[in-house]
Amino acid sequence: MNNGNTASTTGARNTATTTDAPSTAHAPSTAHAPGTPGAPRKQRRRRRAAERRPRFAIAVTALFFALLYLPVGVVVLFSFNSQKSLTVFEDVSLRWYTAFLHDDVILDSLGMSLRVSLVAMAGSLVLGVALALGLVRSRSRLGSFAGLVMLVPLITPEIVTGVAAMLLFKGLGITLSTTTVMLAEITFSISYVTVILRSRIAALNPEVEEAAMDLGATRRQALRLVTLPALLPSILASAVLIFALVFDDFVLAYFTTGVDPQPLSVRIYSAIRFGVQPTINAVGTLMLAGSVGLIVLALAIPRLFGRRGGLDLLSGK
Amino acid sequence: MHPTPVHPTPAVRLDHVSKRYPAADDTYAVHDVALDIAQGEFFSLLGPSGCGKTTLLRMIGGFTDPTEGSVLLDGQDVTGLPPNKRNVNTVFQSYALFDHLSLADNVAFGLKRKGVPRAEIRERVTGMLDLVQLGHLAGRKPATLSGGQRQRVALARALVNRPQVLLLDEPLAALDLKLRRHMQVELKQIQREVGITFVFVTHDQDEALTMSDRIAVMNDGHVEQCGTPEDVYERPSSSFTASFMGTSNLVPGTYRSGRVVLDAGPELPVGNRPALTDGSRVNLSIRPEKIWLSDLEPDMARVGGVVRETVYCGPTTTYLIELAPGVTVSVLEQNTVRSRMEDRWSGGEQVEIGWKPEHCLVLH
Repeated sequence: MNNGNTASTTGARNTATTTDAPSTAHAPSTAHAPGTPGAPRKQRRRRRAAERRPRFAIAVTALFFALLYLPVGVVVLFSFNSQKSLTVFEDVSLRWYTAFLHDDVILDSLGMSLRVSLVAMAGSLVLGVALALGLVRSRSRLGSFAGLVMLVPLITPEIVTGVAAMLLFKGLGITLSTTTVMLAEITFSISYVTVILRSRIAALNPEVEEAAMDLGATRRQALRLVTLPALLPSILASAVLIFALVFDDFVLAYFTTGVDPQPLSVRIYSAIRFGVQPTINAVGTLMLAGSVGLIVLALAIPRLFGRRGGLDLLSGK
Repeated sequence: MHPTPVHPTPAVRLDHVSKRYPAADDTYAVHDVALDIAQGEFFSLLGPSGCGKTTLLRMIGGFTDPTEGSVLLDGQDVTGLPPNKRNVNTVFQSYALFDHLSLADNVAFGLKRKGVPRAEIRERVTGMLDLVQLGHLAGRKPATLSGGQRQRVALARALVNRPQVLLLDEPLAALDLKLRRHMQVELKQIQREVGITFVFVTHDQDEALTMSDRIAVMNDGHVEQCGTPEDVYERPSSSFTASFMGTSNLVPGTYRSGRVVLDAGPELPVGNRPALTDGSRVNLSIRPEKIWLSDLEPDMARVGGVVRETVYCGPTTTYLIELAPGVTVSVLEQNTVRSRMEDRWSGGEQVEIGWKPEHCLVLH
């Protein structure tokens, strides 16, 4: 009952209210304890100390975010530098953005990355949703086995997947190209779609699809008119996630791409090997803006469907 | 159980249907059920959970195929046809509303699948939503409705298609008691208004008694008894029906030329029962409200006992009376007879109880 002396961070007021709840008889003595004239001042000082403590926490948090975002901030800042220097900021200009817009190689790479992301998104959605539907509704042993195998790409180191994909394409005599990147990325992304969708499908009420058939819909119509609309928020959320993952992907793209064009991530990597060009800063800033835009979109999608919170959809709950 | 023809072509005929699950030790979910459900009838399938009533309903709806026997709708054999090829509609226990569609679109779903002209769809949907008193909410999404309202949407969505038969799978189970009582009355009114055959699955015997034209009492995959509410309540043909339909005193004994010798000792006259031979094991079944505690009439069967427990329940009082060691019957008395506390029987008192012979059933 002498919590007043150990002065918890939440302060004396809180201590009094928590201790007097179970034993009312002790409450008055706790509230005024210890019964010396100097006690209230001491308590006040402690309360002040307690209020100061969060400042330390705030400082740590600030430091954390600074370390996390400072490098990114430097990239953004120097993308607007009028000089080629990466250490001295001279003046604000859009010089490197203009340079980027006139760099056909980088633009080709950006175009390819966008195409690959869109195709991988569409392909993995179709296959991933179908797989998730099949896995949830399958009652056979093969089904539960497939459900486990499906998870393997998520835990395989990406470099293994990348090398394996490359060896497969080489072994089959397929020339590495934009198409091989797309195939590899689709394969890699299916698991993500399936994992997100599977829990949503399992949570669906099976009677709803039966109701659609009861009302005259064929099995296919029931899927199209009732089941897919119910899954739409999850499908859109995984679409955004896959787009972002594939657009950012380097390892898989590096091993499966042809020579020309190369995906943006691979292109940036090769460019940096020959010395850092400030154009890369501009590209990086634009990619950052694009990613933030996607996150905002991912958060907004569930709200459009009248649900609260967006990240729960990304985690598939 | 033989089907009793009520109408030349019954709305539903279950012709000795069975459902067996090979995986589960070859046990029958439904075993050799033969039932005729007449046109326009309010028919209830009543039984405890796991008795096969929902499986039977799913067979009529087309969600489950019988392993033996056939299902006929209006004389047409529909065994094996998928749900979308049958002119029946279902109100599901979970309501199964389409959450992404408005109420009006939910109700219009079936008509759109049938290709009904747009103007007619609008007219019928409006009419049906008005019938279930939800016309003013037509544009709302199901998630914004209360349980009772969702239940009505499910009903409207099924009824708007004017099915031959409406199947209802415990549609009131999720509602609280007061709303359930209200919906029982409303459902019955709607059924009378639209004149469609209702097949209603429930485990609540009060619900079945108040709403049905006929009841099939099910137990362990087969039909125990099928008849009007009065039949199954007043004249249960088996011990199961007697105990499932409300409370009943079941007292074991042996039949001996017009009398039953209870296992606990006393001997009671039950009249001559040609169906029984001397020495048959029987259960005497007497409803608690059919036993008299006072003003016994001369033609009554009488037996003495000791009051063991008095349970006051507002309008009624239940007495537990021990006839002999181990044989206790419950007796229900309206509180108009003995209205004041001090007038009621109390524990330990010696009483004589009696009943009219026709109220005492001798069951195998």
